Amino acid sequence: MSLDVQSRQTDAGVTVLAPSGRLDVTGAPSLKDAVSEAVKNGQPRLVIDLEGVSFVDSTGLGSVIAALKMVRSSKGDLRLAAPNQQVRVVLELTTLDRVFPYFATVEEALTGF
Amino acid sequence: MTVFFPTSPRSRKRSLASDPAREAVQPFEFHATLTRLDDGLDTLHRSVELLRERTGRSADDRNLILFETALAEIGSNVLIYTGKHGTTGPPVEYALRLESDTATAFFTDHGPPIHNQEARAMPAPTSEAGRGLAIARKVLDELKYKRDGEVNTWRLVKRL
Repeated sequence: MSLDVQSRQTDAGVTVLAPSGRLDVTGAPSLKDAVSEAVKNGQPRLVIDLEGVSFVDSTGLGSVIAALKMVRSSKGDLRLAAPNQQVRVVLELTTLDRVFPYFATVEEALTGF
Repeated sequence: MTVFFPTSPRSRKRSLASDPAREAVQPFEFHATLTRLDDGLDTLHRSVELLRERTGRSADDRNLILFETALAEIGSNVLIYTGKHGTTGPPVEYALRLESDTATAFFTDHGPPIHNQEARAMPAPTSEAGRGLAIARKVLDELKYKRDGEVNTWRLVKRL
């Protein structure tokens, strides 16, 4: 199962990336590419909409951490939105929920961003 | 090529004396031969989906989520290190069983030996790699690795 990543930009200049599928060892490179593209285009404020992500593994988490480093090195920031139960459990297990405070919806993530 | 054959329920007949709790722990068995990373991971997730259907658990069932998470971590490691990206060589054998509410998964592969798998701790939050085995060990009730000759065997156990 490959990971498809849709990208859109809000009126406020925030890029919303919406991956769909499994964010795992096979899907993580697609997310990394999409983040690189957004940062390269001078759009370092990112929301990753996780609603379409059915499953995340440690490599998928690694790609999100890489994304955070990339946007912060460009003086931007990253927010996660709409993770399912499996994603929330893995964030909690790895204590990455302290690094990535996540939002229930994309709209909430965009508020004040 | 992947082959799987979950066991059939003992009986689909219900009686007045039937106990839903007992039905939930009916034995389940799944076997597959894994040859490629992407297809192999699809098969692992499919096996858990069949287990979820068999046990009547929801998509949000925490123990099954933890088991599936560990299974994918060990399974991807096995498939990657065995080098089954479309190359020739002995395939990875996978089995999943459910008995008395305990799920047990087995992998057998001919990849290189794994060293210090017991010692791998959860890395710092900013680390981009190295969490797979630590996650699996943290969430499973038992994780056993054995090297026997040229063969690796993994045993993953989780009480559901």
